[in-house]
Amino acid sequence: MSLAKKMSDMDTFLAYSVALEEEAADRHDELAGMMDVHNNPEVAETFRKLAHYSRLHAKEIRDHSEGSDLPVIAPWDFGWDSMEGPETADIGEMNYLMTTHQALKIAMSNEKRAHNFYFDISRDSPDEAVRALAGEFADEEKEHLALLEKWLANCPEPAAEIYDPDPPHMPE
Amino acid sequence: MDQSAATLPLKPKDYKSALKPVWCPGCGDFAVLNAITKALAFMELPREQVALITGIGCSSRIAAYTGVYGFHGVHGRALALASGLKAARPDMKVLVAGGDGDGLSIGGNHFIHACRRNMDLTYIIMDNEVYGMTKGQASPTTAPDWTASKLTPQGSGVRPFQPAGLALTAGASFIARGFTGDPNGLAKMLVAAMEHQGFSFVQVLSPCPTFRPEQMQWKHHVRALDAETTNNPIEAAQRIQADDGMSTGIIFQNRYPVFRPGTGVDAGMGSIESEFLI
Repeated sequence: MSLAKKMSDMDTFLAYSVALEEEAADRHDELAGMMDVHNNPEVAETFRKLAHYSRLHAKEIRDHSEGSDLPVIAPWDFGWDSMEGPETADIGEMNYLMTTHQALKIAMSNEKRAHNFYFDISRDSPDEAVRALAGEFADEEKEHLALLEKWLANCPEPAAEIYDPDPPHMPE
Repeated sequence: MDQSAATLPLKPKDYKSALKPVWCPGCGDFAVLNAITKALAFMELPREQVALITGIGCSSRIAAYTGVYGFHGVHGRALALASGLKAARPDMKVLVAGGDGDGLSIGGNHFIHACRRNMDLTYIIMDNEVYGMTKGQASPTTAPDWTASKLTPQGSGVRPFQPAGLALTAGASFIARGFTGDPNGLAKMLVAAMEHQGFSFVQVLSPCPTFRPEQMQWKHHVRALDAETTNNPIEAAQRIQADDGMSTGIIFQNRYPVFRPGTGVDAGMGSIESEFLI
């Protein structure tokens, strides 16, 4: 059974949505920290902004769930289609020399996955109220994507790769 | 340390410290940190009831990045330190972590005896098949034909250890292999390891993006073990030998007597101090 079809009640859907957004926000914070440590302040700031938006969305969902007793789900029991939540950036894609352009491309790919997650539920959930709310969330993810596209247009890919004269793998 | 009883249940990030890891972006060790914190949060362990003891190396920095008690020890001696702590404080959950060089070369002797002693410890080896902190030399798990290091331009020519096989031979009662590309699966595995009574060993395939960038392709090769966990060491040995080291899961689990030394310390501080020679 697809994940979307398993979303048969509002509490389960909200528990998944909160986890998706909070995990994405925490990961963006973690990535910002990585870039701070490796003296890449511009990309650190980008990830920090992305964390801020994920957190806003998480708060909105938390507000929706006020008064509900959301089920507690172990991280490995979510059964995401990807190894982590759909909006969570893959640490393996990070590089200390990455540019804002690259960071935004990764963020866009994560937002697309999140959009697809909500869109599938808006189409396939057996519960009408869940389908409606998932549709709203899918639209919001679409707005985020549009925002990122604008942002990306202002951050063209650098013409040349960044050169590090003292890379960490330089043999001693 | 803050008493956390009043703030339970804690979230995974509550088990992290305020320090930002200095690992290279892309390093698998970030996922190990996340898996440990997820496992601790799932088990609802108060921070003051957990200690993480580490050796030396990139991965051994992990003790500083958690909010539980930690000790960043000497090279290869994490298991000795952890055994001492567990003997003195059997009520604590004691985790031990380090890299393949720390645990299997410098600390190799401690490792095999920790396996056979079977104290209630969970040992995580973050295996990237290289010494990263010292800029990329062959470790005990490096393939013999790896030529990227200037120290071994023709490759080391030495066959690598199989950590799981070594642990089995030395008598470990819980042996698992995880992968940082699946942090949630790894967290589940760590919960099983921590719940196991006795010495639990978890080898984690943790790619090094800097000195072993080719390991970033491991995600295309790692797969789930195609067999249930066995308690039969002969079956486990056959599986380990037949495998290419890329299968993940709990390979072996059995109940062996757990070594629980009595503390035996009944002397007061005064009498202990009187024995000191200054």
